[in-house]
Amino acid sequence: MNGLKTSALALGLAAGFASFGTDAAAQVCTTKIGAVLPTSVDWGKPIAATAQYAVDIANETGGVAGCQIEMVLRDTQVDPKVGVDAAKALVDLDGVQLLLGAVSSGVSMPILTSVTVPAGVMQMSCCSSSTAFTRLAEEGKTNGLFYRTFATSGVQAAVGAMVARDAGYESVAVFYKNDDWGQDIGGLVADDLKALGIDVTASIAINDAQASYRAEVTEALKGNPDAIYMALYPKEGTQVVREWISLGGTQNMIAANALKSDEFKENVGMQFLGNFTGTDTASPRTDSADAFVEAYTARFDGPPNGPGLANSYDATMIALMAMHAAGKDATGADIAAKVASITDPNGTPVTADTAGFAKAKELLDGGGTVSYQGATGNVQFDKNGDVSAPAVTWVFSEGGIEEQKYLTLTEVNDFMASLN
Amino acid sequence: MIGIISYLVFFATVASILSIAVLGLNLQWGNTGLFNGGVVAFFGAGAYGTLILGGTPQAGQLGGFGLPYLLALLGGMTCAGLVAWIVGLLTIRLRHDYLAIATFGVAVAFETVMRNTDALGGAQGIRGFERPLRETLGNGFTYNLAFFVFVLILLIATYLFLERLIQSPFGRLLRAIREDETAAQSLGKSPSRVRLTSFVAGSVIMGLAGGLYATFYAFISPQDVLPILTFQIWAMLIVGGAGNNKGAVMGTFLIWAAWTASGWALSRFAPLEVQLYTGSIQFVLIGFVIVGMLLWRPQGLFPEKLVVSQSAKNKSRLSNT
Repeated sequence: MNGLKTSALALGLAAGFASFGTDAAAQVCTTKIGAVLPTSVDWGKPIAATAQYAVDIANETGGVAGCQIEMVLRDTQVDPKVGVDAAKALVDLDGVQLLLGAVSSGVSMPILTSVTVPAGVMQMSCCSSSTAFTRLAEEGKTNGLFYRTFATSGVQAAVGAMVARDAGYESVAVFYKNDDWGQDIGGLVADDLKALGIDVTASIAINDAQASYRAEVTEALKGNPDAIYMALYPKEGTQVVREWISLGGTQNMIAANALKSDEFKENVGMQFLGNFTGTDTASPRTDSADAFVEAYTARFDGPPNGPGLANSYDATMIALMAMHAAGKDATGADIAAKVASITDPNGTPVTADTAGFAKAKELLDGGGTVSYQGATGNVQFDKNGDVSAPAVTWVFSEGGIEEQKYLTLTEVNDFMASLN
Repeated sequence: MIGIISYLVFFATVASILSIAVLGLNLQWGNTGLFNGGVVAFFGAGAYGTLILGGTPQAGQLGGFGLPYLLALLGGMTCAGLVAWIVGLLTIRLRHDYLAIATFGVAVAFETVMRNTDALGGAQGIRGFERPLRETLGNGFTYNLAFFVFVLILLIATYLFLERLIQSPFGRLLRAIREDETAAQSLGKSPSRVRLTSFVAGSVIMGLAGGLYATFYAFISPQDVLPILTFQIWAMLIVGGAGNNKGAVMGTFLIWAAWTASGWALSRFAPLEVQLYTGSIQFVLIGFVIVGMLLWRPQGLFPEKLVVSQSAKNKSRLSNT
């Protein structure tokens, strides 16, 4: 038994030396964190890979609170039952105090109400956008344990409406994906457009995986709008745009960030996308955001163009920094309480890379606070755990995706306030 | 240690809830031969009914009547029964695959209606449900244990009820209709009425499972009532053994254990680069289990026991001695 222990220790140390070089000497403990993400879905895999990437960065700096981090990844299969079971297993069997996930609000919500809140585990979602979380937090039922780095749909909807106003469109038809995200943003953008005096000729739900959207497109054509707004994913978006243009619809198009994909551009064709404007909440204006794009490109052989990647990265980084601040063997509530000192606007700015993580650890150890400058910008949570974020508009070009205009946090907030 | 127990209680609760739904399906398919392809519609009706009747009011949504829990649960079961009764009247004359297609359509329609009706939660689902006795029992392990006992009692009650039912003359009538409807009719029985009764009864049991499921998660959304759930419940019944209640329960625990344990094992033992594909591997593994079962033991783990009747059993015992 003793021999076994010693050799296991020796093996562990050897592995530590091999991969972490000089920092490894102090590394003998491992802290587990959980991740429940839809890895069986094509767009879910990169989100999980990005989270693991952030964990690797933390480990390169010597880990969190003196321990290496092991991310135990479980698949949700986008099935609430499976996701909740995975979360429960992570909390009970692996004893995690920090859970990353899920993507779909319909999975994140039951995990929150039946696993993480009862167990006092902190939950950080990269990608759930439903306004239901805000309401739950307002009722005080999240116990401050829930955070998300995905700005509520309000920001994008407002910027979408602003694009329509600036382009001088007088009437807009709205297509939205028929799920919680799409219904949310579709409803919000319609309200915002009306508030700006723009006519909303139709709001049309697009169900997944239909062979044709001719009926929906024809319905939208009836109102003869100046432009269309799309809160759709690339697959359905491609089909809707193809049918829309082939039936003689306008090429004036505004879209939410889910269409920010090379696949969409290639499948529709650049010649039809001249008047296309997209919106996004990411704000690559800080050095650390550029560094993220560069580092990501170097690591994954391509730029981070899928949905939720920058959010997943920031979610993991912030959570791990908070975990470090909370110290060894911290509970979920301890970690959640420390998030504010990571995203403190008056704190010392740190970048979202290895150097930034190491610097943040140093500052936090000294009792200071940091202002995390992440891949989605200068992240700040409100009292409900929601983020507001600066916004950008972007267009497709021959070379790929180009940013058009940058709206600072203040500009976004002022504009949103003017709508109400 | 407490973690393992806590997880096992959690697992057993979910498996028991699903067992109740599988028992409902067993009454319909195993005993009456009704191919219900829309289990989620009745499961969902029970879940939505319970949360709407027992939940707290939400802006812009129907419900929040805040009824006492047991009344809400009964209400949810009634909802499932009503849906089943209407569907049954329309489709009960359909046979086998036709009934399967029609009920599958009903389930898809149910999900679509829930997704698109804002007053019923829309795609965001219904939340804000206060789990009963939460104040007294707290929110942790004690609560889960108490809820498990509650679910277990209901599972045993359902099991005993169905065991009695299929041994009764009515149970024999169900099997007679399953085997040869014309013969049953020639004996003066009314197959369509009996089929409807069985369909509604089975659906009410599924509604009970749905109500318990929604209570346990304190949340229900259209994502909970996707066709995959129908498939899972069918797989549980087929593996366990259609026509045998014990098989239905065992099949549920086995398949749900395989589903969760394979995910856990893959996350623990699979190499890092395979981790991202564990979901897909899991689907393949479970597919193998079901196909293997169908190839080598199509009657299920616990095949149906063929007992003609109590008196016939006694008679054969007498003649043997």
